[in-house]
Amino acid sequence: MFTKIIDWLDERIEIRRLWSGIADRPIPGGSSWFYVLGSALAFIFILQMVTGIFLSFYYAPTPDHAYASVKYIQNEAPFGSFVRGMHNWGASFMMVIVALHLLRVFVFGSYKKPRELVWLLGVGLILLVGGFAFTGYLLPWDQKAYWATVVGTNVAGTVPVIGGLLLKIVRGGAELGNLTLSRFFAVHTYILPWTLALLAGLHIFMLELAGPGGKWDPSKNSPDKTEPLFPNQIYKDSLFLLLMFLALASLAVLFPAPLEPQADPTDSTYNPRPEWYFYFVFQLLRIFEGKYEVVGTFVIPTIGITAFVLLPFLDRNPERAPQKRKIMMTIGGLAVFTISVLTLIGAQAPNVNVPAVTSPSVIAGRVLYDTNGCAACHSIHGKGGAIGPELTHVGGKKDRDWLLKHFKDPKAMSPGSIMPKVTLHDKQLNELTDYMMSLK
Amino acid sequence: MADQNVTRRNFMIRAIIGIFVFIGAVLAIPLGGFGILPAFKKKATGWSDAGTVNDLMVNEPQERRFFQLVKSGWQEEKQERSVWLVKRLDKSVVAYSPNCPHLGCGYRWFTAEKRFKCPCHASVFDIEGKLLSGPAPRSLDTLETKVEDNRVMIKYEVFQLGTTQKQTA
Repeated sequence: MFTKIIDWLDERIEIRRLWSGIADRPIPGGSSWFYVLGSALAFIFILQMVTGIFLSFYYAPTPDHAYASVKYIQNEAPFGSFVRGMHNWGASFMMVIVALHLLRVFVFGSYKKPRELVWLLGVGLILLVGGFAFTGYLLPWDQKAYWATVVGTNVAGTVPVIGGLLLKIVRGGAELGNLTLSRFFAVHTYILPWTLALLAGLHIFMLELAGPGGKWDPSKNSPDKTEPLFPNQIYKDSLFLLLMFLALASLAVLFPAPLEPQADPTDSTYNPRPEWYFYFVFQLLRIFEGKYEVVGTFVIPTIGITAFVLLPFLDRNPERAPQKRKIMMTIGGLAVFTISVLTLIGAQAPNVNVPAVTSPSVIAGRVLYDTNGCAACHSIHGKGGAIGPELTHVGGKKDRDWLLKHFKDPKAMSPGSIMPKVTLHDKQLNELTDYMMSLK
Repeated sequence: MADQNVTRRNFMIRAIIGIFVFIGAVLAIPLGGFGILPAFKKKATGWSDAGTVNDLMVNEPQERRFFQLVKSGWQEEKQERSVWLVKRLDKSVVAYSPNCPHLGCGYRWFTAEKRFKCPCHASVFDIEGKLLSGPAPRSLDTLETKVEDNRVMIKYEVFQLGTTQKQTA
């Protein structure tokens, strides 16, 4: 039956020739575990597309609803935690495999003539992956999302001359809000996936046209060592993908994607930290002071990207064996070392927390709150009743005068209130107010 | 005859290029404007009531939250804002924008050390908002304030960060 269908197709579109054109592609020097990384990236990209599309079933890209919708995905939707976990861990895997793939190409000297175009498209793809990570981050609209994006977009704002313009275009206005979230969503889910798919297609197509490089030692690329893409290389690829998939799925189950409290632009107690793969950038930003700030935010990143773009044109030595490219290997090693060290230091950046000083009157107020049954109607940090308004942040919303007057006569301050008058003497009312004011 | 074919061929090639350049240009202008121009809409800044002045102690910075009516795209809403207020010896009130002028993190006040410190890239400022150390390119940004009927009124604005010059974003 299957053969009949193939015969039918073959008669019309020569499908066997098409398939053998792909399957029999020769791998010079034979298949290798080093070559599984490219397929692995394609695989992760497809996984991200699939899990991303499913996340969009419930996700709402507005500041009013984004957080609640992600919380729903995380806590209520069946398998939601797994789908989001896969997407979240997929991003980290993407970063790691991109780095390994890049390193492999660098060490093998695969970027050299005639594969410069493959390299250039690869550099473009790395930037797109960075764009994915950066735009994806904001979408849950939690504290980490919000503050990492505040910092990240401000980095764009430090670009000389056009920084201010760039910042507004990226944010869709002067500050983070509705228009930032909706455009980040559009970029993350429409613009970047299509662009990445196009560039990845070209990346593979250019490799096809220029021909794969094989082993760095030309004597190992003799025709008798050549193996076909299918099944030899695809077999290795598939085993690696299975391993990776199992690791990814296990991590998604064991360590679900985090979700911090909802974004609060007025919070001055939060310690913003980026995802681990941006720690080296984070640390870089801590190093340069004052007017040299732009060195960390703009100059070094620009030099880095330019060096990547120019690499195959600057390094035109046809030798590919790493043991004969000592200078290049040293530069590469130093780059890996520097990024690793910056990442480690960045990961250990101390939090800056104000020591909790609770004044005696606040403590006295808290005792009054507890002993007068306020918690029967009001809740603080999730504890207490739901009849009256929540008081978790009341100190940031009301001022002293209002609170004092309100305690003495609730109806006078909020008409229709069913709260009874608080019958305490003035000193106690002051203490209760101090406690309320401490809730921010 | 051959020459005629060449000119005809050239004409067709130019026409094809022309058609697609035209379509691209006609699309690019409105789409570019649609995507980018709303970002440059100026927002009117009025005075917001940031609470009573009575709670402020001289030289003890206090974080204050209040609401400002803001229009963002299709949505007009009360946006919660925060500022750091400092009452000076002469009873005047200074308001600092809550974002570190480096890259915008929310800094905080350390009473014992009398310093504002940023949790992200470790910039440090004194009570006057002056930059003491760290990567911030300028001192804390002050906001226009006035005191009316014992209430602190603030003209809340957003500044461009990461630059040496203070400039409204």
